[in-house]
Amino acid sequence: MTAEVLRMIPTNESVEPDDRQLVEQIRRGDEEAFETLVRRKTSKVYGLCYRVIGNGEDAKDISQLVFLKLWENLDKYDPQYAFDTWLYRMVTNVAIDFMRSKQSRDNAVNSNLRLVKTAFDPEQTVTVQRKEVESVFNVVSNVLSPKQKAIFVMSEMEDLRSSEIAKVLGCRESTVRNHLFNARKLMQQQLKRRFPEYARLWEQSR
Amino acid sequence: MMTCQYFRANLQPGTTDVGVLEHLRLCDACLDHAMGIDPDLFFRSLGGTELVPPGGVDAFVGDVMSQVRVRNAETSFAPRKAARVWQRLAVAATVAAGVAGASLVYRFEAVVPAAQPVRVLASASRVVPARPQILATKSFVETYSSHDATIVEMPNDGSDAKIVMIFDEKLPADL
Repeated sequence: MTAEVLRMIPTNESVEPDDRQLVEQIRRGDEEAFETLVRRKTSKVYGLCYRVIGNGEDAKDISQLVFLKLWENLDKYDPQYAFDTWLYRMVTNVAIDFMRSKQSRDNAVNSNLRLVKTAFDPEQTVTVQRKEVESVFNVVSNVLSPKQKAIFVMSEMEDLRSSEIAKVLGCRESTVRNHLFNARKLMQQQLKRRFPEYARLWEQSR
Repeated sequence: MMTCQYFRANLQPGTTDVGVLEHLRLCDACLDHAMGIDPDLFFRSLGGTELVPPGGVDAFVGDVMSQVRVRNAETSFAPRKAARVWQRLAVAATVAAGVAGASLVYRFEAVVPAAQPVRVLASASRVVPARPQILATKSFVETYSSHDATIVEMPNDGSDAKIVMIFDEKLPADL
């Protein structure tokens, strides 16, 4: 294919502005650019909120709050840094604050605890169902602090590297690794206590 | 997306391969198999999926934008608010300056007693009454103790004002 033909094929860059370009447009007062940005980032923001908070309605409210904060603080964004890192920082800060206030508000037993099984047959073979993994996660991750949970979610579910998480949280990489190590340990302990049939998977693999 | 056969053949414990993780997160048939290879994939299987807020993306974006418009309308009053803040500050500064000035005047008047008519007694006709201005610039001595001083007290007629003269060679020159 010649260079001339290549030039005629529209690329994604030419059709859709990237995040930084959108931010520039928004700073100039373009409301439509902000709408485009919200649409583009909704799934990412809501997904992280949902994983950390564990409740769809709360996650939706917190996601909306994040976007409003984004709108109000867009002047503070420094384009030399990745937009997603800045966005993730905002999401984790708001979600962690929400979790902390929620934890202090209600230390009541989570409704998910109904999933706890007291009796199980050690010979029983376990088939892992995706829906159940989510429920198990909601139960066992309750032992984590909001920050530990946010780090665990970013690492395991959003596939962010430790260095990226450190940038998001503004801390050292070693701190992130420590939190991750402790989070995994705590969750395995909880898994053993509450879902021994799944904890057996780890024991078998040793 | 890679095939189940390829996934099962290539799955390694502790994998960070994007394709492998994508398959793990989408294929229910391979999830159980993956657990047997690496249980740490248990929670990793949750990630990756595009989550949609309750009510859908369009409704979500609509809600956000309507709140943004409300905030915009609120902040359009901001310049006027800012001016008001400056006006308030100016008024506050004026009031503070007035209060500070008044308190200074009050203090000065408390240190310098109001001029009173001095009655010149026959026995002290040569005594010149001290000027208030001089009192204000000299050091103020509240207590004084000395064995070598000579104190001369001018008699008065029961009024509060009393003239006391102290003669002491050891006193500092500026007193």
